[in-house]
Amino acid sequence: MAKIKKRGESGAAKNYITRTQALKKLQISLSDFRRLCILKGIYPREPTNKKKANKGSSAPASFYYSKDILYLLHEPLLAKFREHKTFAKKLARALGRGEWALAKGLEERKPLARLDHLVKERYPTFKQALADLNDPLSLLSLFERLPRDPVPGKTQVPTEVTAECGKLLAEWKIWAIRTHALRKVFLSIKGVYYECEVPAGRSGETVNVRWLEPWEFKQTVPADVDFRILLTFLDLYRTLTSFVLFKLYTDENLVYPPQLDVKLDAEGEGIGRFKLAERAPDALAATTVEGEKKITKKDVKKSIRSVAHSSAAAGGMQVDEEEDVLIKDEPAAEEEFTYHPSKHDAEASDPSNAPLPTYTSLLATAPSDGPATAEKGYNIFAPYTFYLSRETSSRTWEFVIRAFGGKIITTPSLNALSTVPEVASQITHILLDRPMDAATMRTLQGTNKWTWVQPQWVADCVNKRTVLPAGEGSGYEPGGTLPPHVSPWDEEGRDDRPWLGTEASAAAAAIEAAASEDEDEEMDTAEAGEELTPALRAAAENPQDSTLVHQAELEAEAAGVDHAAFKKQLAGAAKKGAAASGSKPAAAAGGEEDLRKIMMTGKKQRLYEKMQYSNNERRQESDKLASKRQAIEKRKKKGGK
Amino acid sequence: MPPKRTPTASRAAGGSKRNANANSKANPPPAAAAAAAAPVSRKPAAVKRSREDDRDAPAHSTEENLLAGKINGGGGKGKGKASARVAEEDEEEDQDDAEEFEIDTGSSNGDLDDFLDREALESPADDEDEEDDDDDDEEGYNTSDIEAMENASGDDEQDDDDVDDTSSIASSSIAPSTVPDSNLTLDQLIAKHTYKPDENMDIYVSQATGGRPLVGDATTGKFSNSKEGTGRLVPSKFVKGALMREYDEIEAGYGSESSTEENTNTIGNVPIEWYDDLPHIGYDVSGRKIMRPAKGDELDKFLATVEDPDSWQVSLPPGVCSPDIAYKLLQKQVQLSDKELDIIRRLQNAENPDADFDPYQETIEWFTGKGNEMTMPLSAAPEPKRRFVPSKWEHKKVMKIVKAIREGRIVPNKPVVEKPRVYGIWSNDDMENPPHAMYMPAPQIPPPRTVESYNPPEEYLYDEGEKREWEQQEKEDRKLDFMPQKHDALRHVPGYENFVQERFERCLDLYLAPRTRKVKLNIDPESLVPKLPSPKELRPFPTACAVQYRHPANSRVRCVSVDARGEWVASGSEDGIVRVWDLGNGREVWRWNLKGGPVQAVEWSPNKEECILSAAVAGRIYLLAPLALISPHVAQTTLTHLNTAFSSSSASTTNIASGKPVVPDAKWVRPSEDERDRGMMIIIEVQGTPKQVTWHRKGDYFATVAVDATNKSVLIHQLSKHQTQSPFKRTKGAVQRVAFHPHKPHFFVATQRYVRIYDLVGQQLLKTLMTGLKWISSMDIHPLGDNLIVGSYDKKLCWFDLDLSTKPYKTLR
Repeated sequence: MAKIKKRGESGAAKNYITRTQALKKLQISLSDFRRLCILKGIYPREPTNKKKANKGSSAPASFYYSKDILYLLHEPLLAKFREHKTFAKKLARALGRGEWALAKGLEERKPLARLDHLVKERYPTFKQALADLNDPLSLLSLFERLPRDPVPGKTQVPTEVTAECGKLLAEWKIWAIRTHALRKVFLSIKGVYYECEVPAGRSGETVNVRWLEPWEFKQTVPADVDFRILLTFLDLYRTLTSFVLFKLYTDENLVYPPQLDVKLDAEGEGIGRFKLAERAPDALAATTVEGEKKITKKDVKKSIRSVAHSSAAAGGMQVDEEEDVLIKDEPAAEEEFTYHPSKHDAEASDPSNAPLPTYTSLLATAPSDGPATAEKGYNIFAPYTFYLSRETSSRTWEFVIRAFGGKIITTPSLNALSTVPEVASQITHILLDRPMDAATMRTLQGTNKWTWVQPQWVADCVNKRTVLPAGEGSGYEPGGTLPPHVSPWDEEGRDDRPWLGTEASAAAAAIEAAASEDEDEEMDTAEAGEELTPALRAAAENPQDSTLVHQAELEAEAAGVDHAAFKKQLAGAAKKGAAASGSKPAAAAGGEEDLRKIMMTGKKQRLYEKMQYSNNERRQESDKLASKRQAIEKRKKKGGK
Repeated sequence: MPPKRTPTASRAAGGSKRNANANSKANPPPAAAAAAAAPVSRKPAAVKRSREDDRDAPAHSTEENLLAGKINGGGGKGKGKASARVAEEDEEEDQDDAEEFEIDTGSSNGDLDDFLDREALESPADDEDEEDDDDDDEEGYNTSDIEAMENASGDDEQDDDDVDDTSSIASSSIAPSTVPDSNLTLDQLIAKHTYKPDENMDIYVSQATGGRPLVGDATTGKFSNSKEGTGRLVPSKFVKGALMREYDEIEAGYGSESSTEENTNTIGNVPIEWYDDLPHIGYDVSGRKIMRPAKGDELDKFLATVEDPDSWQVSLPPGVCSPDIAYKLLQKQVQLSDKELDIIRRLQNAENPDADFDPYQETIEWFTGKGNEMTMPLSAAPEPKRRFVPSKWEHKKVMKIVKAIREGRIVPNKPVVEKPRVYGIWSNDDMENPPHAMYMPAPQIPPPRTVESYNPPEEYLYDEGEKREWEQQEKEDRKLDFMPQKHDALRHVPGYENFVQERFERCLDLYLAPRTRKVKLNIDPESLVPKLPSPKELRPFPTACAVQYRHPANSRVRCVSVDARGEWVASGSEDGIVRVWDLGNGREVWRWNLKGGPVQAVEWSPNKEECILSAAVAGRIYLLAPLALISPHVAQTTLTHLNTAFSSSSASTTNIASGKPVVPDAKWVRPSEDERDRGMMIIIEVQGTPKQVTWHRKGDYFATVAVDATNKSVLIHQLSKHQTQSPFKRTKGAVQRVAFHPHKPHFFVATQRYVRIYDLVGQQLLKTLMTGLKWISSMDIHPLGDNLIVGSYDKKLCWFDLDLSTKPYKTLR
């Protein structure tokens, strides 16, 4: 006889555990459990049958996978939590008794929880870590600018945390600048979206990392935002980002963490306060992954080869490093080394006419794979030097422009530029975000050839990977009406806007023309339709039948209609008939479809209807957009006339 | 009595009236009034006086003006302890006091008591009880009580008036005759506890005070009532001239709860308002009514508050319960003295109520300290060595540590080697975890669309309607969590106010939102629709009407059947006529008027050698043969087949051939010769209205279904034997349709929901097909016998493959 199955011993009942049960099992408080869940990445599940999972009860509960909870039982973090609890007790006792020496000793031996093992555990491969980097970078960029007490009287954000967030983000951005990893920029009402393409391994795989940076304003923080949760997340994210950065820097053969230039930092420099440094050749072998314990012959050979390689390239690299640092730290000072861009505006705006990169400029801008980067348009701004006006966000534009090879000048104010002619002559583009009349611009410009643009121009160039024309009439000039800023991710998804391209507008025009023609014709046929004789109608229905046509002709003659008029009538009637028959097959097809739907099983039918519904929704949405667009264009046309 | 009606006086009058009602015979109100009229002096300090003394020297009493007139007429006396309480006021001084004094004249035991009482009352200063102050009956404490307590510290407190009375009476009889004034209380105490009342004597006893000898009858009184009845004899209320025994009240001992109770109202915790309309306010322990004490009207109260400087004391402090209850229960006003207030205050402050109690008194060292040293030790053993020699094991442990330090194994304050903060944790040969069904990574936030742009194309902006809709929608229902905006320059873009909120919600989602795996189908919906051949490919099929079989206008055709050889069409109509038509040209070639209401079914025999048409009307089945139309050979076979049974058996054909159940109600009738000439060959009379006739393939058997014929709804008729059977004794459900299997001896019966297959030979149920339909309307079997189609009134069609399952192979709508 088969073994009798008992209730609640297998399946969903065993697979899932409610939160209360989990708390009991782990013997921790709810807040500790929350921290554990956040750090370990444990999340509740939605069982297919809640009643089965909850042992027959239908009371609302959140279910966890019971093996997750079992693994938590021997989590080192849990032990650390307990250690910390006892430590807190001891410290409070010592402080309460005024035993300062003891308290100091305790404080020195304070148990510190490290999250290294979690990073490796949650992201076994580097690719997975990169794939999950969107949220960390977004949260870091939020915390970068948060005040110490975002919600007064509640959890405080330590300043060290905020500072570390800023540091990590700056390191990330420096890396992106150096490797030209930035791909897309999108200025949204929520903030600036960036997308970087990050190499995920040796095999040439890349992962797109997208993050959102808020606008540089004071954040409105609702009182119900629990910063304990956010800070727990931030703990994990800081650790994860630092390990990712370590890997990225090491792969680039850079020292991590980069050195912080204290002087520049004090001056309020953003990204530029960090100095990148190449690693010493002998460090290469040492910094192989810790996991590799045994040193095989292969390893030895490899290290020898790498050492030889690096020593061979040492001279060039040294130059490169110096260049890089120079560029980063004092952009104005290294102008003499850069190529002077062409004086002609047209040439300047056309990338095909852009000057050929010299050896030094290539090294400076593209230390790793210069030509490839240039080909793909990842250093479109290489020939240019941008002057950032005060009102533009240097945090955003310095990063974007430098990531695409451009150079930045911010130091003297716009009015004072004329006093420093050697700086002014270097500038090719002025990034200005305020209206300014042409006369003022001319006076400021003097003899220099500057292109005045609004910041959106940079973002649009980046997304198109070409240098867009920025003269009068393009809309990018200061005070001009900007062309719409479109999301670079629209092609990836379902949003299609055929009317935005050039060919699309032609298509739209064609549609419109057809519509107007239709209107005319409709009027014609309406006139003709009144006097259709039965014979003519029959002839129109099948114009190939010569006898019917002949009959109709005879009738027309009898009625005194001349031949040309009759021909026209016949054609109109035939067209109408065709339209009618055209709709008829459609109807027939509809009937046939109904027949086919009868043959579907209920399950498939439901699925089919669901799909049709969602497709319809989408179609309606895009139709709505299109019709709105048409209405707008019509209105504009009328206004123009 | 002065004519002036002061508040107190009125109160007194009221009280006296009430008391007079309650008072039985003992105290006539005039007497009480007389007693009250005379100023009775009283010593508040519980100075006990004998009755004689009081009688003699009312004027001697020092505090006459105090008028503490309370004459307590003897204790445990019979029923109505009915104290005629008349408060008399001293016109001059007592108005100021506004203090209520009572003159209690209780009836004493028996007649003699009464008499004496009356005597006593006549003498105005007759204070018969010595403890006038202590026990103002049924009242709580009052000032004088407390004072009395104070003064007579050694005195046992007597709360219960009645008890006091009895005991005092008793005590009077035994107490020493000459007692000095100062020892009075002690005497009382002794007397009370040593003397028992004598019920037989009925002598009014009073206690001597002021050095006078006690007038008791110690000589004649019986000290114990244990021997001869315990009650006093009193004249019976019920029988004139008889005596009845009345018992003493039981004195509760000190340990008893009731001994401490001063509240003798026993009504319990019921609203005192229930007694509002009654003269009494409750009952004491022995069930006697407690009369309502005199109470002033509002004016009295007001005057009292105005004139009495102590009036504030009347209201009890909050939180003090028991005096309050006593106050309510006894409907009296309570006055609290300073001492009482002090006690209350102490209780409220959780202190010891006794003001003299010292919680911090010196401890008395009984066993330790100086002078208490023991001269002899408990043990004479000498102090062991281990008490003063260092431990060897500790020494060993310490040496171990010392050695370790010397060898450098233990380094004090060794610097901890910090693990580097970051290091390479990923190598190139990392492997992803094997895929697992329970691994559900969080979905990423989708990339932003153009609608989120700070400068989107105009068509993305909301018009008025959309704006209103967005604003009215709940936050969860919105398609976008922001309203699209267009700014003409980047500097005009404000900060996004929901940024923190959105980040926070994302974090909450990451760790709180239950996750589940959803398979996202990325297929073309058209691939779900099955491919069907288009109707064009199914040609040729009839597309136009070829032949019409025209019936008269008023007849509605109910059933049609085509004969096996395809020559004739038979139709049955509602007017009861069966018509035979030429199939090819639509001409009517034959007709039978069955005259039995609408024709329910017509069916040709499937045998091609014969030409038999069966038609069913209500209660009858006709077997018809258009003999004139068919070829002679066929006609011959038909006739032979139809008539064999007529020739073999007698005309009545309800024979019982085998063990099969034969239906007696089905009657095979041979029609008249005329009718037979017209082709009506046999009439079968059955129960109910047959709705369906179905033939076996060989044409010998046919089955009919008449739903309204209960258990005989299904009948199987055999043509060659003129025999009818009802195969089922009892049918499960209403049979809708039946059918013969084409080549097996199987019989299909469709009830409303199921189709059952019976083996006719084995006479057993083979299968039940679950159609899943609501109401079966029709059924047909494929000629090869392995497929069955069942139709239903709910517009469904079930297709069964009989080889496969009892569930439909396909259900079509």
